[in-house]
Amino acid sequence: MRRLTYILSACLFIVIAAVPLNAFGQTNRELQDKQMREVVDTIKFKKVPPYKVGVSAGYLSNSWVVFCLQHIRYEASLHPEIAEIVVTDAGFNPTKQVADIEDLISKNVSVILYWPVDDKAIEPVLKKAAEKGIATIDTGGGFVYSPGTVSSAFIDQLTLGEMVAKHLLDDLKGKGKIFAMLPIAGTTAAVDQLAALKDVLKSYPRIELLSAEHGDWNRAKAKQITENLLQRYSHIDGVFSPAGQMSIGVAEAFEEAGRIDEVTMSPGDEYNGWLKWVAKHKQGGAVTFPTRAGQVGMQVGLEALNGKVVKRGYLVPSEYLSPAEIDKYVEANAPDDWWASTLPNNWKPK
Amino acid sequence: MWRDQPWWFRDARQYGIVIVLLLAVIGAFIAVPDFNTEENLGNVVTQSAALGVLAIGQTFVILCGLIDLSVGQLLGLIVVLSCDFAAGRPERFIAAVTMALGVGAVSGAITGLLNNWLRIHPLILTFGLLSILQGVIFLYTDRSLGQAPPQFAWLANGRLAGVPAAAVVLALLTATAHLVLTRTAVGRHICAVGGNEENARRAGINTHSVQFFAFVISGVSAGLAAVLVAGRLGTGFPNAGSGYELDAVVAVVLGGASLAGGTGNVVCTVAAAVVLGLISNALNLLQISTFVQILVKGLIVIGAILVNQPSGEPA
Amino acid sequence: MTSALRITRSAITATVERSAIWIVLLALVLAGTILSDAFLRPVYLGNVVRQLSPAGIAAIGVTFVMVLGGIDLSVGAVISFAAVVCAVQMNGETHNIPWALGATLLAGAVVGLANGVLVAMSRASPFILTLGSSLAVYGLTQIYSGGTARGVITPEFRNFFNYRLGGILPVLALTFLLTALVGGLALRYSRYGRSLYLIGSNPRAARISGLPIARITLVTYSLSGLLAGFGGIALLARSGVSSTFSGRGLEFDVLAAVVLGGTTFEGGTGGVGGTVAGILVLFVAFNMANMAGLNYNAQLIIKGVIIVASSAAYNYLKRRE
Repeated sequence: MRRLTYILSACLFIVIAAVPLNAFGQTNRELQDKQMREVVDTIKFKKVPPYKVGVSAGYLSNSWVVFCLQHIRYEASLHPEIAEIVVTDAGFNPTKQVADIEDLISKNVSVILYWPVDDKAIEPVLKKAAEKGIATIDTGGGFVYSPGTVSSAFIDQLTLGEMVAKHLLDDLKGKGKIFAMLPIAGTTAAVDQLAALKDVLKSYPRIELLSAEHGDWNRAKAKQITENLLQRYSHIDGVFSPAGQMSIGVAEAFEEAGRIDEVTMSPGDEYNGWLKWVAKHKQGGAVTFPTRAGQVGMQVGLEALNGKVVKRGYLVPSEYLSPAEIDKYVEANAPDDWWASTLPNNWKPK
Repeated sequence: MWRDQPWWFRDARQYGIVIVLLLAVIGAFIAVPDFNTEENLGNVVTQSAALGVLAIGQTFVILCGLIDLSVGQLLGLIVVLSCDFAAGRPERFIAAVTMALGVGAVSGAITGLLNNWLRIHPLILTFGLLSILQGVIFLYTDRSLGQAPPQFAWLANGRLAGVPAAAVVLALLTATAHLVLTRTAVGRHICAVGGNEENARRAGINTHSVQFFAFVISGVSAGLAAVLVAGRLGTGFPNAGSGYELDAVVAVVLGGASLAGGTGNVVCTVAAAVVLGLISNALNLLQISTFVQILVKGLIVIGAILVNQPSGEPA
Repeated sequence: MTSALRITRSAITATVERSAIWIVLLALVLAGTILSDAFLRPVYLGNVVRQLSPAGIAAIGVTFVMVLGGIDLSVGAVISFAAVVCAVQMNGETHNIPWALGATLLAGAVVGLANGVLVAMSRASPFILTLGSSLAVYGLTQIYSGGTARGVITPEFRNFFNYRLGGILPVLALTFLLTALVGGLALRYSRYGRSLYLIGSNPRAARISGLPIARITLVTYSLSGLLAGFGGIALLARSGVSSTFSGRGLEFDVLAAVVLGGTTFEGGTGGVGGTVAGILVLFVAFNMANMAGLNYNAQLIIKGVIIVASSAAYNYLKRRE
């Protein structure tokens, strides 16, 4: 009985303590800043070359991650002590990603770079890898602070979402009706982008958020959802869509309905199809989601392999590109499903 | 005639997939690097266990001449519910398991009732239920919830003196299922109804209860498989079950059962599930390009079906 | 004699079943107009038809296969594959378009032919065979596209299909309707079409009467593959996306539409008209769910309920007559 009371009050305490931490996005951000600056001792991850790099891709069916992987390969090519790269693809299936990481461990890889389908689902198996002395680096996902992940080379979706929201709402002069087009529900990207938007909205009381939709990074789906929204709402002033490949779908729907003039598009990212649209219509711009997170991840991995001290988080910053600057980044002859990047030409995907 | 063939030929035909499994293991031992560590062999089993459990339930359904496509999403729903409920607390283990089996049984019962009442093709019925269950999961949550109790994780990943706990669970389940199917009246009725529903009814079997029972078993097996998957993932991931139902059907058919019903057995189904897990594992260890892996899996499915055809089927 | 009687009877049965789904569609449309007065505006109706075109075109092919008594689950994979092939072959040049379209249709037909060979030559169930082939085709698409959406589409290609005739009907929608018309007439009135009904309803009698079942099977599955390829072109035109998984999940929408329309798994009944009604019902229901402001996930539930309820209603009607 006493033990039960103890447990219950401990739980109650944790719940109460957690509430203020979660109540304000700012405090979360401060916590993240503090956590990412923590250092990790990497002696137990140090290995003798040649190195075998394991990459556990949560999915490879998306051009961003394909570019990210190319960045990893490119960075690896600059270091002769890396002998080979083993890549596994979980195809959006977290259970498979658990199995993939187990298989990479069986193959005695020296370090594991990964991007998750779901962070929590692979935590136990990543912990196993770390305990066996294999450094685990989250590459291109969100910031992860857990015993299973040694370090994260991440892009901050909260900051990105905030930048996109601010630019959109300023362009709208603080007044109007908008809807949000978000990635796959439940992903860090979707959760953080929406949280950032809602946070920024607090300072713009005359903006109304009509709906938050999930286009799943799928251009066709984003277009279909927008067509339906156009049917439902007779007037839409703006669209919050940080993901360029969905932004084009949204913009096309507006164009085909003859309502492109009533709407202001938010900045997207450096997805080439979106850049082409921005170059043509001179509005929107981009807040980048750099694919070179792959290179940063590989660099952090190498530091760990050399036993050098490593921080828990390395932020790959997003920058804002105004519509006027877009011309420098758009590649008119490349497919839409392409990303503006710093990759040398022979390392780009074929 | 089939009966004139020597006993070892008949057994070989019927248990063909088990032979395939043994050959595959030997082949992998020889040809696949890093395969033959104790750790990896155990991994193959833990990676296949959930599918094996799910496929056992699917075997019952298919033997009965039906099919159950809703089990994948049902598994996902149960994973989410049980992890959300348990919230990582070890003392909630029994309750969580009961809940998993209970939800599975209830869903199976509803499927069974609808099947008996509406009399539409089970493929359509369970496909509709698949969609409904998927919607329910996402209405409940759009992100990972909760945490599996540590016992789940141990069942899914732990070892007992080197042998994976999941292997023990799977073996016990297979043995029980096999006994039920071959030695009990209900089991034999399932095969009878699957073989020829009209004849079974004329013989006095209550086909409606038998089909109902098969669906309940399918639901319960989804609950058990969900326990293992929740243990693997440690958290309630909403999409955890997507695609599992097709994998289960593939395992059953690979194991020699006929989709029309009446023939098949659980031992072969489980062997087929392990073969599928072994193939995934071997392809990863052989560092076959991930894109090629999907193609290879498809070709293997087709090849295995062609080789392992049910015998004596009218076209 | 006997076969002529059977065809007449199955034609009548099919007509009754077909009418049932149109009644359901009418009810849905009425419900839609109550929900929102924008519903019946031709522009939006044109939108709905355009949204369903890729699945609809593929569903016509699957109708043929199912009347024969088979099933084709690989259509989703073929649609994705076709979209990638078309985009890559087009490579941004307008003069490549005819070649790209032809190559895509051919690719679809070849996959269909492979399916047909597997089904005709083995006794295994087409359900599992086409499931396996869908995996294989997805793998091929992944390899061919390298994970990204390869290929560059010309704007002319998309503008042609998205152009609205009379400001209302998108060319793509018209394409679907024309294909449905041609397909429906062929299925019901051609000798080939009638042989499908025969084989589906009584395979043994069909074999005895000397019909070249294997050849017909090959042709039918190839047709399904070809139409799925056409569906891929439609998807590319509508969405501009040629990624690996663009068609994923469509095979279930297609299946639902065909069954809703009265074509059964056993074969021998049903038709393209019913399929058209079925796919309209599905997509109108989605559209209505959006209009009612329902969560996307509620749409999944609605899809499931519609599938189950319509099939049950069908069964009930079938027993009544």
